[in-house]
Amino acid sequence: MFGLPWHIILPTLLGSLLVGAMCSSIGTFVVRLKLSSLGFAMSHAAFAGAALGLMVTVVDPIWTAILFAVLMAAALGPIADLSRLQVDTVVGATFPLTMALGLIFINKSPSSGIGSGALSLLWGSVLGITIGQVYVLAGVFVAMVGVLFLFGRQFFSLLLDRKLATASGLNTARAFYVLLFVVAIVVAVSLRVTGGLLIYALMILPASAAFQWAYDIKKVFLIAPLLGILASLSGFVLSLGADLPIGASIALCCAAVFFGSILLSPKRRRGRGLG
Amino acid sequence: MDDVVSLVDVRATYEGERHATLAGVTLSVSSGERLAITGPNGAGKTTILEVINGLLPIGSGTVRTLGREVTSASHRLRAQIAYVPQNLFFPPDTPFLVCDVVLTARFGGASRWRFFTAADQDCVEGALLAVGIADLKGRPVGRLSGGQQRKVLLARALAQEAKLLLLDEPTANLDPEAKREVAELVALVQRDLGAAAVVVSHEVGPLLDGSDRVVTVEAGRIVERARPVRIPVATH
Repeated sequence: MFGLPWHIILPTLLGSLLVGAMCSSIGTFVVRLKLSSLGFAMSHAAFAGAALGLMVTVVDPIWTAILFAVLMAAALGPIADLSRLQVDTVVGATFPLTMALGLIFINKSPSSGIGSGALSLLWGSVLGITIGQVYVLAGVFVAMVGVLFLFGRQFFSLLLDRKLATASGLNTARAFYVLLFVVAIVVAVSLRVTGGLLIYALMILPASAAFQWAYDIKKVFLIAPLLGILASLSGFVLSLGADLPIGASIALCCAAVFFGSILLSPKRRRGRGLG
Repeated sequence: MDDVVSLVDVRATYEGERHATLAGVTLSVSSGERLAITGPNGAGKTTILEVINGLLPIGSGTVRTLGREVTSASHRLRAQIAYVPQNLFFPPDTPFLVCDVVLTARFGGASRWRFFTAADQDCVEGALLAVGIADLKGRPVGRLSGGQQRKVLLARALAQEAKLLLLDEPTANLDPEAKREVAELVALVQRDLGAAAVVVSHEVGPLLDGSDRVVTVEAGRIVERARPVRIPVATH
């Protein structure tokens, strides 16, 4: 396939599919709870963390990416409370910080040339995934599904209305922080496929597109990962076929899925009455 | 009768505000009773509901609900309290069906490992039937009218099998016919559950008329306690 042996193609293909399913599933929460800016902050924090891992070379960048993303998830709320600013404003302040750190770490890393492995953190890499990393992605996928089931009632109620859920006796604060933690982990482990700059597209666009197709949140949770997988797979093929960066190819396909869904949405056509 | 709600000299202040929203409120609600709280906007009516279920921490005084002291961590206690917040209207793109909105009432207080059973579904369907919206169960909640959405929230309260109802302006922004229907449903839900109710309303109407007692709140204090005057309906 595309002149590449299967032992190279297969891990990337499986990785793309897993990342597509994970990011778009978790993106459903991010979109519905209007946490897009948080996802944005975490993806850039994960990028800076992965770049640090490349610079110090003693740990796999995935672990430093997870560390930075989790720290960002844990810090945003308290910083917003302390400064009495909106989370969006705090996110705006962290964006240049994490980008600057990421670029400095890449600049100082042993493999910092243009087109090097280090820069694949920015826009992803077709050949950057090993079978070991596929196992990590699969493990995180299984763990994510487990957490979604374990906190299913809290998450379901949270998606309807946070105040109503709290007033009904659910510990929504704990559920919310668990959710942020899951977003941070998913973003960090997905970084190698799509790159730090474009992972945000895979998290937001298929999930937003899924909301165009159904009024029933249960159906949205089925449609979003399917659209995420479709975008990942299309991006993967486009990347190999046209020799484009895989992150950018996936982001283009995500955008196509999003705008296509808006145009074809039965909600727009009928204006009512979907299940 | 036992007090379901007991507030003694409660003071409460919202974060970031200098003046107390509640400045020494004392009131009680007995089992099966309906207490109406009325007063002008910003008087502290909603704040009373929020301290009763622990959503707002108090500065001083004591709050006991269903026989227990309330804190922000009283999750299990809140599972026994049905709360309909003020101005909770679901926008048209809300991705939830009516039956799922009502089902969320069964989530509080349930064990993490307990999956939902046919009994939960029966309870949801029974609640929808009781408030007369069984035919809407598969409809997206955001596409219902304001009055229908209020009925969904009352069905949700019924499905919660709560011992206490806290209803914040449940008839606000409804037409007179819908106001009357909602007032009747509040009475029905209260009767079916044998629950006490605290109802906030800033307007005179059937909801206040059906209450056992009315307290008026102004500037965070109770300024008047009364029983509603019931005008007998003429029979021909």
